[in-house]
Amino acid sequence: MPFVAVIKKELFSVLRDRTIIISILIQFFIASFSSGLLLGVLSLYDADTILRYSGDSIRVGVVGSMDDPLPALMRERGLKVLSYPNLGSAQAAFYSGEVLAFFDAPRNANGLTEVKLYLPDQDTVSSLIRMVLQEPLKQYENFLRGQNGIEVRYTDLHGKPATSFEFVYSVLIPMLMFFPAFVAGSMSIDMITEEIESKTLQTLLSAPLTISRMIGAKITSAVILAVVQCMMWLALLHANGTVIQNKSLILLLSLIIAGIASTSAATVAAFLQDRERSQFIYSLTLLAGVGISTILKISPITTISRLAIGDAYTNIWNVLAYAGGFAVLYWILLRASHRLIK
Amino acid sequence: MNQILVIAWREISRLRKRFGGNGSPIVALALMAALGFSAFNLRDSVSLGNGLYRVGVSGDVPVIEDSRFSIHEVTPEEGQALLAERSIDVLIVGATVFEREDDKSQFAVRALKQYMEVFELERVAASFDEGGAFPLRVGVNAVDGNPPKTSVEPQADVVVQTVKPEEVIIPSITPPPAPFTQVLITLIYILPITFISIFFTSSFMDEKANRRLTVLLSAPVTPFQIILGKMLPYALFSISTTALIAYFTNANVPLSLAIFVPTTLFVFAIYLLVPLFYRTFKDTTFISMLVTTLTTAYLVFPAMFTNSSDLAYISPLTLAVKMYRLEPFGWREYLLPSLPMTAIFGFAVFAGTRLLNEEFLMGYKPITRKIGDAIYLMMAHSQPWFAVLLWSFLVIPAVYMTQVVMLAFAANLPVGLIVGAVLVASAFIEELVKTVGIIVLAERNIVNSTKEILWLSFLSALGFLVGEKLLVLVSVSMVSEADVSAALFESGIFLLIPLAAHFIFVSIVNVLRIKLKAPYWLALVVGTIFHFVYNAAILQNGG
Repeated sequence: MPFVAVIKKELFSVLRDRTIIISILIQFFIASFSSGLLLGVLSLYDADTILRYSGDSIRVGVVGSMDDPLPALMRERGLKVLSYPNLGSAQAAFYSGEVLAFFDAPRNANGLTEVKLYLPDQDTVSSLIRMVLQEPLKQYENFLRGQNGIEVRYTDLHGKPATSFEFVYSVLIPMLMFFPAFVAGSMSIDMITEEIESKTLQTLLSAPLTISRMIGAKITSAVILAVVQCMMWLALLHANGTVIQNKSLILLLSLIIAGIASTSAATVAAFLQDRERSQFIYSLTLLAGVGISTILKISPITTISRLAIGDAYTNIWNVLAYAGGFAVLYWILLRASHRLIK
Repeated sequence: MNQILVIAWREISRLRKRFGGNGSPIVALALMAALGFSAFNLRDSVSLGNGLYRVGVSGDVPVIEDSRFSIHEVTPEEGQALLAERSIDVLIVGATVFEREDDKSQFAVRALKQYMEVFELERVAASFDEGGAFPLRVGVNAVDGNPPKTSVEPQADVVVQTVKPEEVIIPSITPPPAPFTQVLITLIYILPITFISIFFTSSFMDEKANRRLTVLLSAPVTPFQIILGKMLPYALFSISTTALIAYFTNANVPLSLAIFVPTTLFVFAIYLLVPLFYRTFKDTTFISMLVTTLTTAYLVFPAMFTNSSDLAYISPLTLAVKMYRLEPFGWREYLLPSLPMTAIFGFAVFAGTRLLNEEFLMGYKPITRKIGDAIYLMMAHSQPWFAVLLWSFLVIPAVYMTQVVMLAFAANLPVGLIVGAVLVASAFIEELVKTVGIIVLAERNIVNSTKEILWLSFLSALGFLVGEKLLVLVSVSMVSEADVSAALFESGIFLLIPLAAHFIFVSIVNVLRIKLKAPYWLALVVGTIFHFVYNAAILQNGG
């Protein structure tokens, strides 16, 4: 079976060259780098995280009664609020390190409420304090709007900070499932153009193998590698405690997407016949494809996110729709592959 | 110089020929147009969490136009049933919101809260006068942390001494300070540089595949001239893109160039090494991807911490973020990222001139052997003692950058493990680079006796230490705040102790490998353990 022989040869060369290890390393790196980034971002720019870890140590001074709306809202938010009789004693408390920042008493000016906030002249500390004060100040603003007779709706919503959840299901899982597909496309180009540029294609075709079966074998080996990587990621995510629903549908979708990527890549290679241009055009096609499909709201990224969270309205038909696209692309490739032996 | 220009011109004609015919420029343009069009269309609408939440609405509810939500029109009864069976995450009936206790519903509520806040704000701003809609003004003042000497006694009526003019904000329409937008703008500079340098790589590969490089090498030009000549058109193109981006984003053009020229050189340096090492086309694809990922990580990660940590300055993007915020920075801040990047470029060009020969380029060997050959070629230019000393000195910037990337990598480990993991990894990298040159020489029987091994180990330790201290000289004031970097760069310790320490670790690894024939990885692990214990001890004493 020459078809199987080609698959074996390609898979073996990937293992022997250890290149696949680099690919896995990249994915591992991207995954941990982006979640590291998120962690850094969360701890620095997310008021909820800051308050959870250091709410008690952020002490804010106010001039006037503790029962005024602003101090009450800040306490409710989890900040430590200390009250002072006048601005002078609040300032003294600031210099002695008792408070990190202080508010003067609110004043009425031309119908507007003015309040002065004093922060230390250090970017790091002051931006942190401004982040945690943002929410109570907004609530205070709503309170003042209420006094002007303006009602703001939906102010009692709370919920839980969703950044982590959204990151895992809408970025991390789709990325880990589709990156192997993207690599499979690049590999298909490499496998085909290498045969052309090192002039081994004719030799290969002297075996009892048609050009379309040869390309088919190369695509199959790329797809096999992609699916194996996806399985590995699903297992790792599972071990990490990430709950993923519909695993088999996710794998099926990853397989189809890897097929689509490899087929498009092989078609590009059949037309251009050299690696330099093929890879460039393929990368552009891929990016443009993702953009356009997102605009048309048929994005496989969304489909995979929804499958992973167990969305009630997403099922096998959403996955099979992509198989239709795959079939059309494969047909185009079969028509184009004869260009290679001209 | 003339030769360089001739090669540069030849490179331009090659590109013109390659991308000239066959309709590929049209395809490329069409695809770029599609890409630009979709990027423009999606610039506001795509956010984290695309399509994750399902919301049921009933009655008079604001139109929800946010890519995170899919909207289902329901009657209140249907909605309650769907909510209970978890088909939808939130139900909005008029001004009332129904939710479940589980996480997914709560996440959806938080996302909804963010959306509704903005929506309500726009409604209020449109239907009421400004004073009524935005009744609060907060005057933000910066105060110097040190009390003025005159008034120590608290007085009831004071004017607080501020150091900057007051900034008046309206809380609901003032986003909290976050550098993301600026970091994204600075990424626009990196993308074209990377794309262009990929073409530079392709050019080398193309010539290697059809053996034109061999012809070129036999012509009376030096490898140095070939490298600079081939690089010149691409580098000029990258630099003009940088200038154009700066011009169109209203940034200071000379300053942007000063910031991004070292970055451009760095990216080109990395992509120069890729085609030298590849054996098959697949190799190149994978190595390029790895390199792109690592450089992006190195550049972007620190910049996210602009104004939060001084370590942010190891990335030039931080300087660019500051430039966009019109904040000043000094020479030290400029040199901290730029100097190592330029040094890496110098190192890569040096490596390139040594490796650009027929035998090395065409040989098919396992990648570790190939790297061994490369190191040998880089060392073989002079006497072993000088080569070893210079090698340890020159690899410092690369070590430093690797350690930074590892710090980024380790940041998502549990807090207690971060310092330990970074210390172990850094020790490993340092031992690897300090010993690999000597090992390569020993494998080719240039170094044999124990005396020679010890002498070269000492020189390697010396070269490394001198390079390290020079780097510290530039950067110590910036990074000394972080305990980890203090241990990594061992500042403030009497010089003989670190020299002795480096010497001992290097000797251990070399003697284990060369004399006792231990596997190299095992020798490295032993050296790493000693090094780690030493670093940990310094950290204990310092902290």
